[in-house]
Amino acid sequence: MRKVGTLLGTLLILVWCLLPVAWIISLSFKSQTAITNGSPGFFPSGGDGAGWQNYKDVLDNEQFRRAIFNSIGISLIATLLSVIVATLAAYAIARLEFRGKKFVLTMALAIAMFPVVSLVGPLFDMWRTFGLYDTWPGLIIPYMSFTLPLAIWTLSAFFREIPWELEQAAQVDGATPWQAFRKVIVPLAAPGVFTAAILTFFFAWNDFVFGISLTSTESARPIPAALSFFVGADPFNRPASLLAAGAVVSTIPIIIIVLIFQRKIVAGLTSGAVKG
Amino acid sequence: MTSTYVATAGEREKRGGKKPDLVESDRMRAENSLGRKLVVPAIVVMLIVTAFPMLRALYLSLFTYSLTAPEDREFVGLSNYLTALTDPLFWRDTGVTVLYMLVTVAVELVIGFAFAMVMHRVIFARGVIRTSILIPYGIITVVSGFAWQFAFSYQNGFVNGWLPFLDSDFNWFGESTPAIIAIMISEIWKTTPFMSLLLLAGLAQVSEDMLEAAQVDGATWWQRLWKVILPNMRAAIMVAVLFRALDAYRIFDNIAVMTAGAVNTESISFLTYRQTIEQFQLGIGSALSVLLFLSVLLIAWLIVKLFKVDLAAARQEG
Amino acid sequence: MTQPSYATAPGARRRRRGRGLAAVAIGVLAAGLLSACSGDSGKPVLNWYVNPDGVTTLTELAKQCSTDDYDIEIQLLPSGATDQRTQLARRLAAKDGSTDLMSLDPVFVAEFANAGWLEPLPEDVAATATDEDVLEGAADTVTWDDKVYAFPQWANTQVLWYRKSLAEAGGLDMAKPVTWEQVIDAAAEGGGTVGVQANKYEAYVVWINALVQGAGGNIITDNEAGKDASVDIDSEAGAAAATVIQKLARSEAAQPDLTTSNEGTSLGLMFGDSPGEFMTNWTFVYKNYEGLIESGDITQEDFDDLGWARYPATVEGEESKPPIGGIDIGVGAYSKHRDFALEAGECVTTSEAQVQLAVNEGLMPARASAYDAPELTEAYPADLLELFRTSIDSGGPRPKSAYYATISAALQSVWHSPRSVDPDKTPGESAKFLKDVLEGKALL
Repeated sequence: MRKVGTLLGTLLILVWCLLPVAWIISLSFKSQTAITNGSPGFFPSGGDGAGWQNYKDVLDNEQFRRAIFNSIGISLIATLLSVIVATLAAYAIARLEFRGKKFVLTMALAIAMFPVVSLVGPLFDMWRTFGLYDTWPGLIIPYMSFTLPLAIWTLSAFFREIPWELEQAAQVDGATPWQAFRKVIVPLAAPGVFTAAILTFFFAWNDFVFGISLTSTESARPIPAALSFFVGADPFNRPASLLAAGAVVSTIPIIIIVLIFQRKIVAGLTSGAVKG
Repeated sequence: MTSTYVATAGEREKRGGKKPDLVESDRMRAENSLGRKLVVPAIVVMLIVTAFPMLRALYLSLFTYSLTAPEDREFVGLSNYLTALTDPLFWRDTGVTVLYMLVTVAVELVIGFAFAMVMHRVIFARGVIRTSILIPYGIITVVSGFAWQFAFSYQNGFVNGWLPFLDSDFNWFGESTPAIIAIMISEIWKTTPFMSLLLLAGLAQVSEDMLEAAQVDGATWWQRLWKVILPNMRAAIMVAVLFRALDAYRIFDNIAVMTAGAVNTESISFLTYRQTIEQFQLGIGSALSVLLFLSVLLIAWLIVKLFKVDLAAARQEG
Repeated sequence: MTQPSYATAPGARRRRRGRGLAAVAIGVLAAGLLSACSGDSGKPVLNWYVNPDGVTTLTELAKQCSTDDYDIEIQLLPSGATDQRTQLARRLAAKDGSTDLMSLDPVFVAEFANAGWLEPLPEDVAATATDEDVLEGAADTVTWDDKVYAFPQWANTQVLWYRKSLAEAGGLDMAKPVTWEQVIDAAAEGGGTVGVQANKYEAYVVWINALVQGAGGNIITDNEAGKDASVDIDSEAGAAAATVIQKLARSEAAQPDLTTSNEGTSLGLMFGDSPGEFMTNWTFVYKNYEGLIESGDITQEDFDDLGWARYPATVEGEESKPPIGGIDIGVGAYSKHRDFALEAGECVTTSEAQVQLAVNEGLMPARASAYDAPELTEAYPADLLELFRTSIDSGGPRPKSAYYATISAALQSVWHSPRSVDPDKTPGESAKFLKDVLEGKALL
């Protein structure tokens, strides 16, 4: 009885999570003509299939290619910088006693709650003054600010669990401080750093508000913004199947990351958010 | 469970408290200064993008200021706030936003909890489940919005075909209620995994012994759920609700993609965005930004007070 | 035109789908390569922001108009008129020196000019840009405050497209000017529908404005007063417009997606198994359907059943005011190469350029002389060309105001959804709301 329930539940979860994904994949194989003429139904019906044409069109589209390039570049740089800055802060929070610790934590919490939309107006105004409007740094900076809280929490939670005594023990055993750090602490801290990096990357990859507000050309426009501005050959309606192909392409990196790191992400999400 | 948190937190305090006795004050001072140096970059980055723009928003909110007619800028005191707070549109959008928040969080809590129970129990295919549940979490919200918008489209979607009580040309985005439902579904689909993972962490902390004891005492499944599991998960549930509620109150992406605010589906975030970024009304837009920020603070405060979420305690536990 | 982008759906929308996109991609790519080369030689590059409408020909024009002194590079804007305005305005508000040329929806010329974002054309250039040859409706869109701020590139207008067999079945004589009431009744009578644009977007305002002007009224007057313009929609004309919308919304002839309809949604209802439709829509419709014969979606017989007539009148006896759209080319006020940009702007809007756009992309010329070009008279029936030209010449533009975007959004907010329009209430409500919004007393 219990087993059947669990099995049913499992199936339900799989359907819930994967049905819309299957749908968008299926949609991406409907031909653009079928979409214009109307082609209801989950699967492309007879003659409505487009093969890989939509994917070819999307990847042939210079704007979309630029958007992928921007998104990957911006997200990676933001992730790298954010994780470095967060590691420093999280180390201090987990290991050191200093005044203002509470302030940092409270501020991180406050920023995690910040309504992003209330910032874009003044930020747009600032960025155009500083010449950061429609540039990579113009997006990297806000992405860092908004991922730091999560990264700091996740990392400080991980760092607290590290038995730092081992480092001293290694030094007693004759290792240099650098060796002790590299051989003992780094392997223990790495999973936490990885988790923080992945969550930061997800945030940056997902962002829409900054993407549409702080860019205006393909020189910095990220994927979500590019998708929302996507124009097909039919200017009246959104080119559903082309967009679906673009959406699938934009989801591939996420799926790869999830496949490789699922265990770590789950651990990071639960420790970072619930515990701290 | 809360009490356990506090206990561990207390222990940590004690452990931390021992340190200063053992080392001389020079060391303390060095640690203090190193600690500060290490957090400075984080603080600076977080402040550049939040504090300064927020101050600027406060300042601009006292003017009528349109980017398309910059020379008409004029100091008007608090009248932008008065305009916003007496405006039916502001209250309608606030109402709609609260509705999005209440419904999506409630539904996510129930479904997320069910998912967490299943994931907690399941012994096979854990990797597969974890992978699939992370896909909605990782997928771009805009993509989720598109997927559902097309799914509900009567021209190219499948929903009308699968729901026998609907006409095949039922237009989900032609009227307010169905459009709001469609937006909520996209939002719920995308964020339930997050909720369920937070709850899973809470479930893991419910002691099996206690559950077995309750079962031995003859408690039904329902009783165990309400008397043992839920009370012991309170902290996790409240943290999850707090996070998701604040997130849901800021709903923007799905609305922008699916209806662009048409047929009264606009949220307060979308209203603010339209004023500042589309209409270039930096004055009133800034006033709205400030109000949006205050309402988020208010909600956070309400949740923390009402449900007595002890974030500090939850934090220390990590 | 409203969604300039929308107005074309160049030629045959179904047929050209994949190719169109590829062409856009190649065009942009080519422009990119071009600029890469020119970058080496230090030759200035002029950025031309275009709406995704007829991009193939625009790319061609950019190439033709590049000289030894500069190259023109195409930059693509998003598809909606509102998004296009937002993107351009944000760059210009940031005093961007690289926004040299821009394709502007006529309704935004006033706003941009008023904000100081457009370079006024020098007198001699202005005189040529708006000479006798330019159709009045188009020339009017580029002037603001007695100065000329842009070059009319092409003009658009709406006519009444219909299925001849449906008009017959509905007992409507199309030889005489028809009214909206007659059209709706005839469609219902014949079992067909009436296609309009009534989603909450710019083209809905196009419809409302045409209805109000067709009844001899205006949405606002004294436009130059900006915020203090006189709001006139609460009038008999406003009520007449609301009556038409209400009648259609309640009629059997309304299409199922009336409240989310756009220029594309009703295209598919003209032919097929149904008795067809009456549809007010832009000039691209002709080439669109013509293209469908080739792809086999419709037959020659179907196509021969397609009729066209002047935009319907709001009230009996009053001449209709067909909507005006199109694209004007403006020069950015902060451009680093204003003189080159003015030269280039002139070059991409010549009569020859307009003929190219009309023949290749179905975008109708703003110059009368271009209508006589043999390529054009070959491509279109003479009576249709004549209908386009007279419609543009006698059309009713939307209010020219520095606050047009506000006015349009305020109207959309009260008049949408069309099902809620009530002649007794809607005009009054929208007048009050529009006044409040202009005075900053209400949120939009």
